[in-house]
Amino acid sequence: MVMQASAATRTDVEEHDPVPTRPRASLLRRIGRNRTLLLMCLPAIAFFVVFSYAPMPGAWIAFTNFNYRDGIFGSPFVGLRNFEFLVQSGQLWLLTRNTVLYNLAFIVLGNILQIALAIMLNEIRAKYFKKISQAVMFLPYFISVVLIGVIAFNLLNYDTGYVNALIQQTGGDPIKIYSIAGAWPIIIVLFQLWQSTGYGSIVYFAAIMGIDNSLFEAAAIDGASAWQRIRYIILPSLKPTFIILLLFSLGGIMNGNFGLFWNLIGNNAALFSTTDIIETSVYRMILSQNNFTSSTAVGLYQSLFGFALVLLANWIVRRINEDYALF
Amino acid sequence: MSHVAAARAPRKVRLDRSDYVLRGISYLTVTLFATFCTLPFVLILSASLSSETAIMRDGFGLLPKEFTFAAYEYIFRAPRQIIGSYVVTIVMTVSGTAIGLFIIAMTGYALNRRDFPFRNGISFFIYFTTLFSAGLAPTYIWVSRYLELRGSYLAVFLQLLMTPWLIILMKNFMRSIPYEIVESGKVDGAGDFRIFLRLVLPMMKPALATIGLFLALAYWNEWYLSSLYLGSTVEFKPLQYHLYNIINTANALRNSVAGSNVSITELPSNTLKMASAVVATGPIVLVYPFVQKYFVSGITVGAVKG
Amino acid sequence: MMRNRLARAAAAALALAVTTTTLAACGPSDGTESGEPTTITMLVLGDKPTNGRLEAMLEELNPLLEEEVNANLDLFYVEWADWQTQYNTQLLAGDDSIDLITTATDWLFAWENAEKGAFLPLSEEMLQEHAPRTWEQVDAEGHWELTKLDDGQIYFIPEDNFTQWTNHGFFYRGDWAAEAGFEDGTITRFEDFTTYFEWVKENQPDAYPWDVAGANEAALIGYLQGHTDGQTIGQLTAGNYFPFQTTEADPYTVTSWYMEGDELLEAAELAKEWNEIGVWREDALNYDGQTREQFFAGLSGVDQHHTQTYVGTIVDNMTKKQPGSDPKFFYWGQENGNVFRDILTHGAMAVNATSNNPEKALEVYDVIRNDQEAYMLLTAGIEGTDYVITEDGELGYPEGYDSSTDALGSNFWAGRMDEFELDRVTDAPNKQEIYDGLDAVAKEYPYSTFVPNKDLIDPTLAAMGGVLSEYIPQLQYGKFDDPAAAIDEMRQKLLDAGYEDARDSIQSDMDAWAEERGLK
Repeated sequence: MVMQASAATRTDVEEHDPVPTRPRASLLRRIGRNRTLLLMCLPAIAFFVVFSYAPMPGAWIAFTNFNYRDGIFGSPFVGLRNFEFLVQSGQLWLLTRNTVLYNLAFIVLGNILQIALAIMLNEIRAKYFKKISQAVMFLPYFISVVLIGVIAFNLLNYDTGYVNALIQQTGGDPIKIYSIAGAWPIIIVLFQLWQSTGYGSIVYFAAIMGIDNSLFEAAAIDGASAWQRIRYIILPSLKPTFIILLLFSLGGIMNGNFGLFWNLIGNNAALFSTTDIIETSVYRMILSQNNFTSSTAVGLYQSLFGFALVLLANWIVRRINEDYALF
Repeated sequence: MSHVAAARAPRKVRLDRSDYVLRGISYLTVTLFATFCTLPFVLILSASLSSETAIMRDGFGLLPKEFTFAAYEYIFRAPRQIIGSYVVTIVMTVSGTAIGLFIIAMTGYALNRRDFPFRNGISFFIYFTTLFSAGLAPTYIWVSRYLELRGSYLAVFLQLLMTPWLIILMKNFMRSIPYEIVESGKVDGAGDFRIFLRLVLPMMKPALATIGLFLALAYWNEWYLSSLYLGSTVEFKPLQYHLYNIINTANALRNSVAGSNVSITELPSNTLKMASAVVATGPIVLVYPFVQKYFVSGITVGAVKG
Repeated sequence: MMRNRLARAAAAALALAVTTTTLAACGPSDGTESGEPTTITMLVLGDKPTNGRLEAMLEELNPLLEEEVNANLDLFYVEWADWQTQYNTQLLAGDDSIDLITTATDWLFAWENAEKGAFLPLSEEMLQEHAPRTWEQVDAEGHWELTKLDDGQIYFIPEDNFTQWTNHGFFYRGDWAAEAGFEDGTITRFEDFTTYFEWVKENQPDAYPWDVAGANEAALIGYLQGHTDGQTIGQLTAGNYFPFQTTEADPYTVTSWYMEGDELLEAAELAKEWNEIGVWREDALNYDGQTREQFFAGLSGVDQHHTQTYVGTIVDNMTKKQPGSDPKFFYWGQENGNVFRDILTHGAMAVNATSNNPEKALEVYDVIRNDQEAYMLLTAGIEGTDYVITEDGELGYPEGYDSSTDALGSNFWAGRMDEFELDRVTDAPNKQEIYDGLDAVAKEYPYSTFVPNKDLIDPTLAAMGGVLSEYIPQLQYGKFDDPAAAIDEMRQKLLDAGYEDARDSIQSDMDAWAEERGLK
């Protein structure tokens, strides 16, 4: 989502344009007058009603001992029982910690790399070199996370993995990578960067292309070095893009990149301590344990926490610069 | 990318040493990073072209070992499954992208119309779903138990049609359409829908290409909803879910070449998995260079504008 | 209900709004018009066969069903890949195109699913009217008691007239065991497999000592059963685990071998030793292979499943595919006689709660279970192509038949009948000997009629399932550096999850149950 949102840079989501003043008509009249535009919105509205709003009352499951016979609202109410253990066992804390830390790593490292790469791309003059290297760098963004799982296996598995094959060729002992929990934060972050950096850099690259050329010319006349050019012209002009991207990513911080984690880790319990994020645990609880109540409880927590984070992020941004706030 | 090119007038500046250093670093880094992006693809491709015994003995490598097409022969000897999956995925991708794109464009257009009094209300209604969601379990129960969509391709197809972000993105793209266009249409007596269809859509090609590509990618790479809502209920799984199964379960691997009626122990499992990955991924990688132009320009428009 | 209908209407409207698509939902077929035969869909476990034999069989079976009860039978397969998940998900999705559901209390979560509302409660009248033959046979032996929840309702029909032994154990190779120094090639203690595995590791470079795949607890259970007198209470599951036991010495006190005693640690340490030897693949947890076929191909030193599999397929396949391999079976609890007879609900048939034709479903079931012709078709296929009857009255196979590619695969495991079953030519020659041996030591499962009330402890069981699913697979594969610390940690988490409350609640149900029957 972060990536898609990025293209919306600088245009605020909930910006209120002045509506042409017009005498206030009754609701029915207004509906009648705008029926075509309303009808044009109807499929989308229906979509969100059916697939987003309708299931919301189902979050009640988090407070019940759910069974199908009695249904969502007929199942026995158990209060916070379903949350108790999640909190007590520290599982909720572990999931929150992992989710937040991974996202911070993705955001910080991702943005640094993307900006660096964008600046370097801007330095490249050879047309075909630029084109081809761009094309190659975006490629990972196009493939499915399932394939990333294949790639990881291909690289890392104990018996035939490329990494272990290399180690053995140089006389070392193979490493049991799929048993070492400590290695996976690095591996996961690397894969995430591998998949998204090339694509993400294009947004910054586009922003650099948009910088007024006269700035560069003036700098050149003043005898500015390349480093000064970057420091005083390029980086400041990337700030708006950066802030918007940051805001969007902070909003989504409770959503890891589920598919990536699942395809890399799956049900390998040996790695959970460092790799289990909220979404993987929610998915696993449903599919492997048939545990709808805990799953809903964790999901609800995720939603509420995420909601609070968006408000917080928005508040911070508003304090820094009101123009960038979402609402 | 024409407008971007125009924005970048040839720069005539004296280059000092730091410029050359930076440029040198840039070429080097970009080359390295591009290589880094390519290597995994090379690994998979060469693994799929290696012999199983070589893989078992020496592990995977950058170059094919004991070059052979054996794995591909297995796949194409009994291609029923893979062809079925291809058909399902192509039908879903094409129709889903077309329908989703149309709805998103309509909605984005209406929501961007300054004279549409419900625009803020509806925008918030859509945007709110990114802030708060029911969560996976209630949604799952709702879709499978109440909408009775489990086991139906519609469960996957419908849920991928749109996302709030794509609608917001489209709405922002629509800002580039001057309001005068709408007014001129009105003067000519055209209805809102007609204005949208005849005047606005043709101007939105980069936006449509960009968002269409996002949609197409979502459909093409879909495995997650399939794992939840399809499981083993359908004969032909969407392509990536089919691949997911092949990778993760030996049964699926064997079933995918079931026509050959072989024992799993005789199958070149490792290379077969890699070949399946190549077959399932190939088309999107091949199509990519052709759409790259639109994609890049679409993103660029979105970023520069504002 | 109103709300649902509205939502469905909205969904329909959406579907209409977006539909120009050719994607068809594979919906259920309702054929309830009078005269037209009703299609009854039966859910079975297994991979749908692709050799055409199943369809051919159904073509003969269906006219028979049409004639007797005006219905057709169709099979729905839950594939082996990830079957536990797929099975539960399929049931709880409430798919009304399925009518009959294969279930079992010990391996297919029958109690869980009955409680969660997946099965239709079957009234006595309904059974008497629509499945009279089945009703009578089960009733005569008093076995309906085995299928009731605490609401007193019957939820499934037991496969109670079919003798089988589904106690688990290792299949191993006598030839390799002999070379490893075991007298006669016979291994008699669980921990002696260490020697066997070491021998395989050293002398059979192509084979894994035990090629085993995915989450699994065989290495722990095998040890626990043979080194304690624990008796697992099959009615109580936590996720995919059975965390509550009693002991033979104290059969009415609820305990847990995951929680009490040192045996779990001993088992985990043995598993760790095996892991260090390299008994299984390093990535066993992330691996899903057809390990039985690896065993048949000589690429695995052991395989793990139950007596029935040994007798029915292991001996035959190994004799043909690995001549001279002398396949043997070591079952859990062989050391100390801690082994149980099969419970009568190891196979059972339930009616889907959302079935549109529950009565018809029962009628079909009554035929396939009790009509010999229908029974033979469904279980063995068409005589002459799928099987032949040999001169000595055994069930054999036609010339050129290959069981790995020509199997019928109807997988009807929920209503087999001893009187219709024939000995098979592929059965192990020492079948009777094995059965007699088990018969002599096996204990009766004592808790068949015990129905604990789980309403209050469900959240606890769910939480315990989560904990166990994290620790048990790692203990099983010896992945913890310090199993003792890991077990302490796991036990603490189980306590946090509410283990003690759950145990006490079960204990009071157990007390009441035992008292009622004058057992205590």
